[in-house]
Amino acid sequence: MSVLLEVRDLAKRFATRAGREPSPWIIQGLSFSVNEGEFLTIIGPSGGGKTTLLNMIAQIDAASGGEIRFQSQLAPINDMKSLKPGLNCQIGYVTQEDNLLPWRTCLENVLFPLLVQGKLNDETRARAQTLIRAVGLAGWEDHYPHELSGGMRKRTSLIRTLVYDPPVILMDEPFGALDAQTRLQLQDDLMRLWNLGKKTIVFVTHDISEAIALGDRTLVLTRQPSSVAGEHRITIPRPRDIRGILTHPEFIELYQRIRAQVQ
Amino acid sequence: MATLKSAGGPSVGVFDAGRFTAKLYSHRDHILVLIALLAIWHGLSLLLGVYWVGTPWGVAVRLYSGLLSGELLRHASYTFSEAMIGFVIGGIPAAILPFLLRRQPILTAILDPFMVGGYGSPKLALAPLFILWFGIGIESKIALVAFTVFFIVYFATQTGVRTLDPKLVQMAQVAGASESYVARHIIFPGAVPHIFTGFRIAMPYSIGGAVVAELISANRGLGYMIQLRSMNFDTTGVFVALTAVCIIVFITNWIVNFVEKRLLRWRPPSDVTAQKE
Repeated sequence: MSVLLEVRDLAKRFATRAGREPSPWIIQGLSFSVNEGEFLTIIGPSGGGKTTLLNMIAQIDAASGGEIRFQSQLAPINDMKSLKPGLNCQIGYVTQEDNLLPWRTCLENVLFPLLVQGKLNDETRARAQTLIRAVGLAGWEDHYPHELSGGMRKRTSLIRTLVYDPPVILMDEPFGALDAQTRLQLQDDLMRLWNLGKKTIVFVTHDISEAIALGDRTLVLTRQPSSVAGEHRITIPRPRDIRGILTHPEFIELYQRIRAQVQ
Repeated sequence: MATLKSAGGPSVGVFDAGRFTAKLYSHRDHILVLIALLAIWHGLSLLLGVYWVGTPWGVAVRLYSGLLSGELLRHASYTFSEAMIGFVIGGIPAAILPFLLRRQPILTAILDPFMVGGYGSPKLALAPLFILWFGIGIESKIALVAFTVFFIVYFATQTGVRTLDPKLVQMAQVAGASESYVARHIIFPGAVPHIFTGFRIAMPYSIGGAVVAELISANRGLGYMIQLRSMNFDTTGVFVALTAVCIIVFITNWIVNFVEKRLLRWRPPSDVTAQKE
């Protein structure tokens, strides 16, 4: 398998405000790589720079040092102005908040990236409809975000990224704020959708069970300044049963090993 | 005949009456307040004398005769056009400028104190200056209205542009949106509610600005009417003109609300009382 995304010796600190102590390093000496078609989960303590890491990969924030390489392109370092958010639609980003446009309906939000990219045609519309049905949003297309439940909004934001089919998708605790039942359902949905397309996914979470259940590989990050504390290959065969996986012997063993590493 | 009525033609009298009663009932609070205010008004005119405070009935009669003779409508339409032209001349650039200044922090910082100054300047004190510059015709009134409206709408729009969630912009950029696409499809729709807040506040001020300018110097308009009649000790006449001003404000406010409601259907109802409908 070829390496699609590589992060080497990454460092990040935010700009120091005038008259203050230099701001601390959020990330220092972080290195890992992501293979094509791989589902990588990243787990770490909250406030550990996980969102910052994804922001830097998606190029909406600049790194302070090190390298981020996507295919052969290097991301600019310390230079906010030359950032290319989303790298010409090659990197999709499902953020922690749903970030739906409140003046667009569910369907219009899903179609938004296609509209922006000038790729809105019968074929992509049909794809959007398929995705909407796949995550159980059929019948809610004409509702505005404030008329949808939290889970529905999350689903909308998820398929808004899937609809334009970027080679890499970053996900930042997308199911963090949901209740256990909705979360299981969405994890199930995500697994099904991933099995259909086998995208490369970098999935950040603070939930160990979620990291094991979804991933091919799990990275454990340290406390601030974060770097890689451990790496775990997850060989539980697919397709996995999200609900039944908790009692799988390999799951229990992995859980304990990761638990010991998460500070 | 009864069966015909229940068939439900558009001009069935009984049905309309029912609707009218229902509408009346839903506005019972407004009607009660109106009756109370009219009673207080009438009480005051009894207390202080018709010479100082015209009775509501007297005002209504004069309003009606003024409308019939066309005199009132002529003056009102003059004031109304001043207000509307000024509103457009001041309001439209004010709603556009913050978008142009969005990526120009230095220019914004330079302009800001002047904008604050313009916003805070007493418009009544400026009216004589505008009359000096633009004469006693319609131009000076339009200028004063435009000046008043501009700053209100400018600051409201600026708030809308500034308070938009930057995460929505990042989302659009990651999805591949260019700078101009973001401006047109994210920043602008996000600021529309604020622009309308500005419009809604500025609309009565535009009528007020026109009337104030007419009070100072004019030969037409409701402000001129007020001025002339107060000089003739015609209190009831002044009340008639004031009532006409109130009616215009009421109508324009209704228009702004109607357009806003149409354009902003995506918004959740902002107050709990609206949800019972």
